[in-house]
Amino acid sequence: MKKSSIAGILIIALAIGIIISTYADSSTYGSFKDAKESTSELHVVGQLNKEKELFYDPKQDANYFAFYMRDNEGRESKVVFNGSKPQDFERSEQIVLTGKMVGNEFHASKILMKCPSKYTADEVEVTEVSATTAQN
Amino acid sequence: MDIQFIGENLLPGKIGQFFIVLSFCTALLSTIAYYFATTTNLSKDSLVRASSEGWKKIARLAFLINILAVIGIGSSLYYIIYNHLFEYHYAWAHSSKILPVYYIISSFWEGQEGSFWLWMFWQSFLGFIIFKRAKSWENSVMTIMMLSQAFIASMLVGVEVFGLKIGSSPFILLRDAMPGPIFQRGDYLSVITDGNGLNPLLQNYWMVIHPPTLFLGFASMIVPFAYAIGGLWEKRYSEWVKPALPWTLFAVMILGTGIIMGSFWAYEALNFGGFWAWDPVENASIIPWLTLIAAVHVLIAYKNSGHSYFTATFLVLISFVLVLYASFLTRSGILGETSVHSFTDLGMFWHLVLYIFVFFFLSIFFLVIRWKELPITKKDEETYSREFWLFIGALVISIACLQILASTSVPVFNAVFGTEIAPPADVIAHYNKWQVPFAVVIAIISAFSQYLKYKKTDPKKFYISISVSFVLSIFITAAAVYIMNIYSNVMYILLTFAAIFSIVANARILGDAFAGKWRLAGSAVAHIGFALLLVGALVAAATNKVVSINNTGIGFGDEFAKNNNPRENIILYQDEPVKMDRYTVTYLGDSVEGVNTYYRINYKVLDEKSGKEKENFTLYPNAQVNAKMRQIIASPDTKHYLFHDIYTHVSSVPLKEEDHEEHEGHSDDENYEKPVTYEINIGDTLRFREGYIVVKGINRDAKVQNIPLGENDIAIGLQLEVNSDGKTYPSEPIYMLKDGSKFDFGKKVDEKGLKFRFTNVFPDKNKLELMLYQKPKAEKAWVVLKAIEFPYINLFWGGTIIMVIGFILSIFRRNKEFKQA
Repeated sequence: MKKSSIAGILIIALAIGIIISTYADSSTYGSFKDAKESTSELHVVGQLNKEKELFYDPKQDANYFAFYMRDNEGRESKVVFNGSKPQDFERSEQIVLTGKMVGNEFHASKILMKCPSKYTADEVEVTEVSATTAQN
Repeated sequence: MDIQFIGENLLPGKIGQFFIVLSFCTALLSTIAYYFATTTNLSKDSLVRASSEGWKKIARLAFLINILAVIGIGSSLYYIIYNHLFEYHYAWAHSSKILPVYYIISSFWEGQEGSFWLWMFWQSFLGFIIFKRAKSWENSVMTIMMLSQAFIASMLVGVEVFGLKIGSSPFILLRDAMPGPIFQRGDYLSVITDGNGLNPLLQNYWMVIHPPTLFLGFASMIVPFAYAIGGLWEKRYSEWVKPALPWTLFAVMILGTGIIMGSFWAYEALNFGGFWAWDPVENASIIPWLTLIAAVHVLIAYKNSGHSYFTATFLVLISFVLVLYASFLTRSGILGETSVHSFTDLGMFWHLVLYIFVFFFLSIFFLVIRWKELPITKKDEETYSREFWLFIGALVISIACLQILASTSVPVFNAVFGTEIAPPADVIAHYNKWQVPFAVVIAIISAFSQYLKYKKTDPKKFYISISVSFVLSIFITAAAVYIMNIYSNVMYILLTFAAIFSIVANARILGDAFAGKWRLAGSAVAHIGFALLLVGALVAAATNKVVSINNTGIGFGDEFAKNNNPRENIILYQDEPVKMDRYTVTYLGDSVEGVNTYYRINYKVLDEKSGKEKENFTLYPNAQVNAKMRQIIASPDTKHYLFHDIYTHVSSVPLKEEDHEEHEGHSDDENYEKPVTYEINIGDTLRFREGYIVVKGINRDAKVQNIPLGENDIAIGLQLEVNSDGKTYPSEPIYMLKDGSKFDFGKKVDEKGLKFRFTNVFPDKNKLELMLYQKPKAEKAWVVLKAIEFPYINLFWGGTIIMVIGFILSIFRRNKEFKQA
């Protein structure tokens, strides 16, 4: 047998190993309920509850950001993120959190947001100047 | 009823659309004609062969018109953006009036359509070189290139055929792209005063140059692909390798440069704090780059030894298919939840899939029908031969690539099999776990295989010459890991050793090059550059250190001690120095320039004993602050030293609320502290927090706009002068008696946050009543920032530059060889 063929077979074996391990390494999407039952980190997809207050006060703690999110099953949980409030957070349509439950709080290590970016949103911003005289 | 739209300039769009259709038709015609020029030329019948020339003429003419059409599309689009014709969706969505010219160029390729155009433009540019210089290869190579050109043009057509929208045109009108009520009015353009503008993160000089470079890289990858197909098609199996080799090196060089430029942009302009994040979009472009690098090595092995023919051909072919796959990943919207910066789907999902499959099956088809004739050797390679290790090296690179491909394709896997697999929780660790060992193997092979000869090497000689480099590298590695502080991790030490081994071994080859063997210089330099890049990436990524560690805050305490997670953002109040690591950092203030606010952050390093200043520099991280949207878009600033960088970005700043409109239920007075009432006379002086006020006099002839005064009415103005910080501000509140009722008209001095009301006159006491309102003391300004130190990152950028120089040298060499042959 040619040496290159042997190398080829080894490589194929390694490739299969890689693919299996890639999927073994992968995380899962879940809900807050799943997170409660699990001890490992997982991804939770949901929406920001815009009615409840977002808490970020850098004067108290520049690395504490808390908010409430509803997962796709409708369950709500408080989420704590050790970092500053991400840019554009309020406008997010969808949030993907990576992290785990600690007590009743979900501790996120990563937040990924989908925003209706100003630069792709199909919304015409109209400015109209009306002729009103200012009263003094 | 038809609406007459006023002020639209429809001509440039119509011209542009015409050029798109023209470019599609000519590309298709040229493909067909080149196809027949190739097939007729292969015929045994001399009469048929004679017709080849005729086909070629048609093909060439169509191609030249295609070039003009492509330039025409670009010019029309540029005209539209440059002249702010916001009736066109593309100009409205991607540009605005305040953009300087160089960013107008970037807004040109911010959208998918513009970047497709860029690709098409480069493809015709490269086609022109083939057209001029490829001689006997022109027909077959151009058939493939024009087929690709037709595909890209079809992405821009944007017409509906049988209810199916094909492509997306950059010339679509705003009113067609997004129906809205305002388009009911004919003069809608008069209310659309400006475009959406360019994403602020893309307003960076690297974004002017990075996309063209990257797309030239992508576009040039079709040339080796077309040569390989041409070689199989025309049964010129070994012949295609020589002309394709310089092109392969060119593609590798340009694409590599483009990728690193993107990485540099991310480092300079984005605030994720690094130069590589294993984001799917980054991965998508590095995958074909790696496979083509592997291809270069086996092409050279084949050329010199006759081994690895199939591997070389396959890698060249698959590299271009992977380019198409990369564009599918970034453009189809499939990455959705896993990537921060991919495009959204423009309805071209299946169109892109078709593009991939056509080129994929073309490759498979030719490999299968020519399989029996392929010059695959039955001989076994010698273990001590260069070709064997070139082959092994290429395989290892391919495997490394496969790992990236597998992980990046998780969303595709989910889409195809309906699964819901999420990406790994710690993406970077996941990739590094695999890629670091691969990099070790690749670097080691790149070191010792330089000492092997083709065919057969005497093992004794080989070991003697390599052992010198080996021992030397061990010493250098020991010193390097100590200095660079990475000795705690075995994998890091191994990678550093492998890279240094590669540098030393290749440096000796380079030494021989200076002694006269110039041919070897290119590969030696490229390998040294690559090894430096590896060390730089490793050290910068492994030892970068957050400087702005914050040990205070709500959560600091039990929980913090338990998790021991570093808190990376710190608050700085203006003019209050904070000690961070070895730096004393002070926020000095901010200044506004255009849409950006620049924060002045001063860094000082003081000598601990003498207190002398050792370093002193100021960084200007900036942010676009939008108080209305309550958001900031921050960009970092970095101080570059030879051996380390200090990188800083603001993560949060106070949002300065714009003045509230007065609305019902809220009186303006709520913005002020409780007023103080004074009884005063002319000549009096009143103190306030920031200065004093002088009562200058009385104006008995005061007038209030729109209120006519009757005979018995009076209006008196109180002339005041506010003195603060050496400046004076006049103010004249008015008191009025009209029809027996009292009125007063307050006045403000906004610069000082003051408001005056002249509320009463006491003739008996000879006093006047003045109410003084003052705004609360301004909050002390602050910023929250994050600062990171990146050691030795210049090795990464420097290694890249050296590698590119190596590629250039190799291109010259291979091109010369091809011409001599």
